[in-house]
Amino acid sequence: MNPFSYLEALRLAAPETALAVAALAVLFADLGGMRGESLRHRAILGAGITAVGGAMALLWLGFAPGYGTIAEGVLVTSPLTQLVKAGLVLLTLLVAGLSLDPRFTGHVGEYFSLLLLGTIGMMVLVSTQDLLMLFLALELTSLPLYVLAGFNKRDRASAEAALKYFFFGSVAAAFLLFGFSLLYGVAGSTRLPVIAAAVALKPPDALTLVALVCVVMGFGFKVAAVPFHLWAPDAYEGAPTPAAAFIASGSKVASFAVFGIVLAQGLGPMAGGADWHGFTTGWLPLLAVVALASMLLGNLAAIAQRSVKRLLAYSAIAHAGYLLLGLMALATPANRPAALAAILYYAITYALSTVGAFGIVAVVERATGSDAADGFNGLARRSPALALCLMIFLLSLAGIPPLAGFLGKFYVFVAATRAGDGSLSLFWLVLVAIALSVVSLYYYLKLLKRAYVLPPDGAVPATRPDVMEFVVIGMTAAAVLGLGVFPRALLEPLALAIQQAGF
Amino acid sequence: MTSPAAYLWLIPVLPLLAAGISAVLPRASRRWAAGLAIASLAAGLGLSLMAFFATVGTASHGAVAHDPRNFPWLSLGGEAVRLGWVLDPLTAVMLVMVTLVGLLIFIYSTGYMAHDDNFTRFFCFLALFAAAMLGLVIANSLLLLFICWELVGLASYLLIGFWYRQPSAAAAAKKAFITTRIGDLGLLLGMVWLYHETGTLLFYDDGRGCLEHSALTQLATQATLGGMGLSTAISLLIFCGAIGKSGQVPLHVWLPDAMEGPTPVSALIHAATMVAAGVFLLARMYPLIAAHPVGTPAETAALQAVTWVGAITAVFAACIAVAQNDLKRILAYSTVSQLGFMMLGIGVGGVAVGMFHLITHAFFKALLFLGAGLVIHGCHEEQDIRRMGGLRRWMPVTFATYAVGMLALAGFPLVFSGFWSKDEILHAAHGWPVSKVPLYLGLVGALLTAFYMTRQVCHVFFGEWRGGNGRTAGAATPHESPPVMTVPLAVLAGFAVLLGFLGTPAWPWFQAFLTGEELAFKPSKLFAWEHLSLLLASSCLALGGMALGWWLYGRRPLDSAESPDALAMRWPAVYRVLAGKFFVDELYEATVVRWHAGWARVCDLLDRWLWGGAVLALQGIAWGLSWVSKVLDEFGINLGFDLVCGRVRRAAGLTATLQDGRLPNYLRALALALALLLLLLTWGVKG
Repeated sequence: MNPFSYLEALRLAAPETALAVAALAVLFADLGGMRGESLRHRAILGAGITAVGGAMALLWLGFAPGYGTIAEGVLVTSPLTQLVKAGLVLLTLLVAGLSLDPRFTGHVGEYFSLLLLGTIGMMVLVSTQDLLMLFLALELTSLPLYVLAGFNKRDRASAEAALKYFFFGSVAAAFLLFGFSLLYGVAGSTRLPVIAAAVALKPPDALTLVALVCVVMGFGFKVAAVPFHLWAPDAYEGAPTPAAAFIASGSKVASFAVFGIVLAQGLGPMAGGADWHGFTTGWLPLLAVVALASMLLGNLAAIAQRSVKRLLAYSAIAHAGYLLLGLMALATPANRPAALAAILYYAITYALSTVGAFGIVAVVERATGSDAADGFNGLARRSPALALCLMIFLLSLAGIPPLAGFLGKFYVFVAATRAGDGSLSLFWLVLVAIALSVVSLYYYLKLLKRAYVLPPDGAVPATRPDVMEFVVIGMTAAAVLGLGVFPRALLEPLALAIQQAGF
Repeated sequence: MTSPAAYLWLIPVLPLLAAGISAVLPRASRRWAAGLAIASLAAGLGLSLMAFFATVGTASHGAVAHDPRNFPWLSLGGEAVRLGWVLDPLTAVMLVMVTLVGLLIFIYSTGYMAHDDNFTRFFCFLALFAAAMLGLVIANSLLLLFICWELVGLASYLLIGFWYRQPSAAAAAKKAFITTRIGDLGLLLGMVWLYHETGTLLFYDDGRGCLEHSALTQLATQATLGGMGLSTAISLLIFCGAIGKSGQVPLHVWLPDAMEGPTPVSALIHAATMVAAGVFLLARMYPLIAAHPVGTPAETAALQAVTWVGAITAVFAACIAVAQNDLKRILAYSTVSQLGFMMLGIGVGGVAVGMFHLITHAFFKALLFLGAGLVIHGCHEEQDIRRMGGLRRWMPVTFATYAVGMLALAGFPLVFSGFWSKDEILHAAHGWPVSKVPLYLGLVGALLTAFYMTRQVCHVFFGEWRGGNGRTAGAATPHESPPVMTVPLAVLAGFAVLLGFLGTPAWPWFQAFLTGEELAFKPSKLFAWEHLSLLLASSCLALGGMALGWWLYGRRPLDSAESPDALAMRWPAVYRVLAGKFFVDELYEATVVRWHAGWARVCDLLDRWLWGGAVLALQGIAWGLSWVSKVLDEFGINLGFDLVCGRVRRAAGLTATLQDGRLPNYLRALALALALLLLLLTWGVKG
């Protein structure tokens, strides 16, 4: 075993280090010098330091990316991980841009440093091939998210959301840890390639099956798939809106990326089969059931929601279902690069639309005092630009061309159709997904109808985003449109990185 | 350093961006719109100059270097339609001219349109026009050229109809668009035919382009209808497009009406650049037009057609210009006539001859139009030259610059560019072996040009002020315009003089640049008899025309706006025909338009009774069917659909109630899920 080199570790983890320094700096600056200042000034300082840290990390990722492996896979960086990390940092910066008006708390420094710590967790999460490190990173991601969900201490809903999220998350984490320990028992190692080699050798027995279910449960919680989704609507609704945007965007991208890595690199040999007329043992039938349930329940329950944040939560559950379809396409080794590119494209563009949509919810919420769908009535007349952006985000979520959401769905469905070497074994799920996409149009369009067709209810105060919010919303809208028209801008770097990462 | 050809695409793209941005600017951001347009064109001018100087000296041994850059545009199956741009002397010259004249006119427009409400829209259209025109100039593909050609037409339509609230402007815009479209049809057919025969629309493509040797030989040797060479037939179709765009007889009728647009537009589009696009097209396609099999005379049928159309137009329009009273219309007919000269030049002397006149004309005609704009502005929107007079006292700068333009157009000997470029054409016509008639027509045209320009200047600038007779209340005296409008004029006037010295027979730099021949300074050539005789003849004609004009109009200026024209008093019948523009408009009105209207009426009747009846019958059937389907719908489908929708909504409610908000139940669900998934894996699947 090579001696552990701290210098090497610092080189590979430089972006994370930059963010960690920024997190501490925010805390010090806010607690030290800004006690007496107004919330707004403190928020601007916090967001500023966050932006500087993020920019440092991005510069590092862009210009001096170090590729390598430490301690046999505890920390692995490749073009792919660096690309995903850059996406995560960008999403964090967007969320920070939405947080300049933190009426929900007096603890601005803590808020931004938790945001940064959560991002660090996500970044480590996508760049490890070791189960222990993976679990630690998962916890480093989850704990800030729990706290962020409950950040509005004066609001009962926020506290309740945090508590539910925390309990649910702890139980799920316990299951995941249990599953990991069983995998360790099977393979005698916590490293994904070794586990893959071990499970390839013997037929699945009770031990591996329990481990498999536990792993799926643990990640199912992170990506909010049915039936591990129960925390999501409450957490989305109760959490302060920027925090909800963070939970819904960056955390989703990281979770799907790491779920894909674990399935492809650690559990690839025991995929099984999910043909509709006969399942065979492995993780494919588990994901098939979970994806089917997510798409069905997410899309149906969204129709009945009156709160827009809850609606977005159920829509997130439905999207998790579509994305699980993409993960299932990873089962066929020949299909892996295309499937992984499709998943990441989908997850990133989905995260962008969601951040934008939450940004608009935040603006409307501030004007009307609640996130009820009624508050969106006549939005086009109050604020045409905002309504236009809302239309872009919702139509992208519904998968209407030429927006990015359409292409994301298209690529994922194509990958799922090609899975199983031309046997069309997952085609039945693709058909269900397409049918349920049609259903999803119903609730997205209902919200758009409120914005464009219905007149405003009575005297609603003017709905104006502040400058930074407007910039974030506008940029995400432009990105959603731009990536829909020029998908190669993201797909080509992804494909290249996936190829270089050796998938 | 990479060749400027690599950046050539920026030249049209920058104004296009400016147009795109100002299209979405709010109406109040006038400075932005004008600034963007001017900046984009200034940048274009810089790039054009770079490209120009890069092309100087690249030619060798009578061949010009073409530097094409092509790229695939559309892939249809295995075939890719390729577009591209090309840098050669022709492109470079046109680029510099268009950007320079355009820039000056843009600057002038900021003053001229300063009081217009739609200033922003105006600059948006201007920039769009500049983008399209520049794209046309650099195009290395007939298809790209055609796309820009149509865009130029669109911009022209938008700008002629810029004051669309005036019915005359709207009608003129329509007329221009439809008339040029007739010619464009020919161009389109020619293009399709060319593609069918050669399989490419690229001009230069390393030996495979349609203007390069192998394609030309193939086209020239194949015969088609009536023994005509393929190249001739295609050239004639392409020439149709040039006739429409450059306002040649018989499609010239739109150009004078186009003067309804703002004056800078007339200067930019209908004098300097767009109308010259037809001539430019011929210059670009010249290898095809002039292609002939070995052993046949070099004067191909297509070139002869170009020559005759040009010569006839030159005289025809000059005659009309003699009897017009609208300041801008005189210039418009003069433009038509000068375009005829350019065509004649291309027909008898080749690219260099025609292009030289195109370039010099662009400068002095833009100068004249801008000057006319100042006159109109200064006289409170008066355009009738009979209601002007004596303006040289009030508008000295305008008068001086206008006089330079007028002398250049009239071909005043030796120091003005128009003299030299016209002389080139006449000289080439003199050497044309087919017929001497074009030469005589050209000489008559030159005489008439000098005459009508003198008449105009006498009316406008000399004599006594005849305006302000109650039609414009209050301060009716004319006034000079601000420097933002006069300075561009002065610059143009400078060019109108200097450009001539680039193409004198003694030192034909311009011709050598375009054709790639060796350049030599030979003053003796000036005094060779064949040159000298023509120089003398055209000088005499120009001076004679001016003297005649002075004798008729300058000696005894009009004493009031209503007194009859000197020419009309002597030959009333001739004057009536000329003032009526040979009644071409009336002829078209009586034939084409009336036939069209009649046919439209027949179609209308057919539509109303024959097809209308059929539609009514169908309607009855459809009503019956729809009634049946309504019954089916209400009692069959609807119930089912409502049922499904109701189910979906109820399912939504049900699934939403799964979420009861109680944490213990959530955790129970988790445990249940674990159990169920394990059961699924152990019993639900095949081993």
